[in-house]
This record gives sequence, structure tokens and C-alpha cells, in this order.
Amino acid sequence: MLLSFAQWIQATALFTALRGSADVYPVVMALHMVGISLFGGMILMTDMRLLGWAMRKRSISDVVDQFRVPKRWGLLLTVTCGVLMAGSKAEEYYYNSFFRTKLILLAAVIVFELVFYRSVYAHPAALDRTPGIPGTAKTAAVLSLLLWIAIACCGRGIGYIEPPLDKIHAEIHAAKAAALAALHTPSTPEGRVR
Amino acid sequence: MLITNPLNSSELVFPTLECFHIVGFALSIGTIAIVDFALLGVGMRRQTPAQLAKDTWLWTLGGLVLMFFSGLLLFSSDPDMYYLNWAFLIKMIFFVAAVLFHYTIHRKAVVSDTPPANGKAIACVSLLLWCGVVFGGIFIGFIYPGLSLGKG
Repeated sequence: MLLSFAQWIQATALFTALRGSADVYPVVMALHMVGISLFGGMILMTDMRLLGWAMRKRSISDVVDQFRVPKRWGLLLTVTCGVLMAGSKAEEYYYNSFFRTKLILLAAVIVFELVFYRSVYAHPAALDRTPGIPGTAKTAAVLSLLLWIAIACCGRGIGYIEPPLDKIHAEIHAAKAAALAALHTPSTPEGRVR
Repeated sequence: MLITNPLNSSELVFPTLECFHIVGFALSIGTIAIVDFALLGVGMRRQTPAQLAKDTWLWTLGGLVLMFFSGLLLFSSDPDMYYLNWAFLIKMIFFVAAVLFHYTIHRKAVVSDTPPANGKAIACVSLLLWCGVVFGGIFIGFIYPGLSLGKG
């Protein structure tokens, strides 16, 4: 079912056009990285403040409250571009174990937010009133750093897995698959392309 | 005797370095963006740009060092390819310009007690230069100079 969803979504006009465009696709990827620079920077600094490593002169609420807006804009840009890239190669990514791991980790982020958003990130002023930084906040910061760094690494890993060409329907791979098939089985050059 | 780069002996080294590179530029560009937003007057109103720069300069520098040295090692894996890759050359031009700008004009504008009149323009130039570095980096992987294929 997931596979047929992936095949359907990448066949839509938007994603077919994006996949075929040699100029737009890298721009989307570059904007994904610009979003990561902003979002990642805010995540790193916010969590390091919660751990007491960075910006100790500022109150926790100053850091968390003020970084929230740029963090969300960065996330919006990163996710938008990420969805555009994933959608245009959905079938190929369905088989990609780094992409699968990344999605599982993103699901873990949702669980993380459900557990820690109210107690840590939504009310930072309460953290300033306690004598030390509470353990819950430090736990949240460590988990957040680990999750997001792992997600970034999985994202980078996606590009290193060759798609199973004999299974992919997207036309961008058809020529490559046909050439490979011809190379391996000269008698039936079209045999592996459906 | 031909000495091969030990970085090329394992397939894991290049992607691992890329992960360090990503964390490095998120830290440096993210912290620079914080100061630039303060200069622009978008958010960060509880502190002055000078205060934020004092809070973050060490993290900016740490991120730049991590990004630079991981980048140097990435470059060493296939220098000929990078040398012939116009996206890489453009990235280097943007990078040198961005670093020079950051530690001269940008720094001067940020540390002054009264925000300069051209503070917003300086923040915009800073953000655009760093975006140029990121764009150059991504396009490296989409250009094939012929000698060898780009990675990623």
C-alpha cells in the first residue's frame, strides 16, 4: 500500500515536473540546506542553553522564546523542500533504508514533542525560576540533539544508496535501467523495464 | 611510490565527514543569522546585536573551524574534481568573501553601541553571502567536470 502510494504521488504532475527539471531540483535541495542552517543552528543553540553550555548570560526564556520564530521558519523551509524532494523520488525512496530510518526518527520527534513540549519548551520562564536547570530540560536537550543530528546524518545517507533500478518506474531511471539491462542480458534488452 | 589518501580507503569516511560539515555550518551560519536578525530588527528584541554577538561568537568560530577542516578533508578526497568544478570555485569565492565580511565590516557594525544606519544592509549582505556558500556547496554534486564523477 505504501509502495503504491509512493508510485502514485511521484506520478503527479508537480513531482513529475520537478524530477525532470535539472535546474529546479538542486535549488530545492540548496534551500533545504539553507533551512537546515537556520533550523539546525536554532536547535543546537537552544538545546545547548538548556544544558548550560551556551549563552549562560541570558535567561533560558530569552533564548528559547526568541529563537522559536526563526526555528519554526527554518523548519518550514526544510520540511517544504524535503517533501518536494521526497515526493519527486517517492518510489525510489520507498526502498531507501536511510530514508526509512529518517522517517522513523521524524516520527520519534513527534513523540518527543508530545512528551517534552509542555514541560520544557512551551514554558521556559518556569525553568528560570528553579535554582538549577531541571533534569527534565537537560534530558530533553540531549534527546533533541541526538535525534536531529541523527536525522541530518540519515538525510545525507539517502544519497549514497543506489535505487533498485529493476523495480523503479520513474522515467528518469528508465534509460539507466534499460542500459543496465542491455549490458547484463543482451538477449532481452527490454526485459527488465516495465 | 604512490601514496593514496587514507580517507579514500573506506566508503564511510566521506559521508561521515559530510555530517560533521553539516553540523559545522548549521552552528556557524545559525549563530550568524541570530545576530543578523537582531541587526534587521526581526525578533531577538530583548538583546542588542552586540550582546548576541558576544554570546555566540565562540560558537560561530567553532562551527566555522569544524566546517573548514571537515571541508578541507572532503576536498582532499578528490582535489582534481573540485578544482575543475565551477560550483566549488564559486563556493570558495563566496566563502572567502563571507568570512572576510564577517570579521571586518559585519563585526564593526555589530560591536558598536549604537546600531549603524546601514546595519540592515550589512545584515542582508551577510545572510546572502552565507546562502551563496550553501548554494555553491549543493551545486558541486550536480556538476560533472569530466575527470571523475562528483559524489553525493
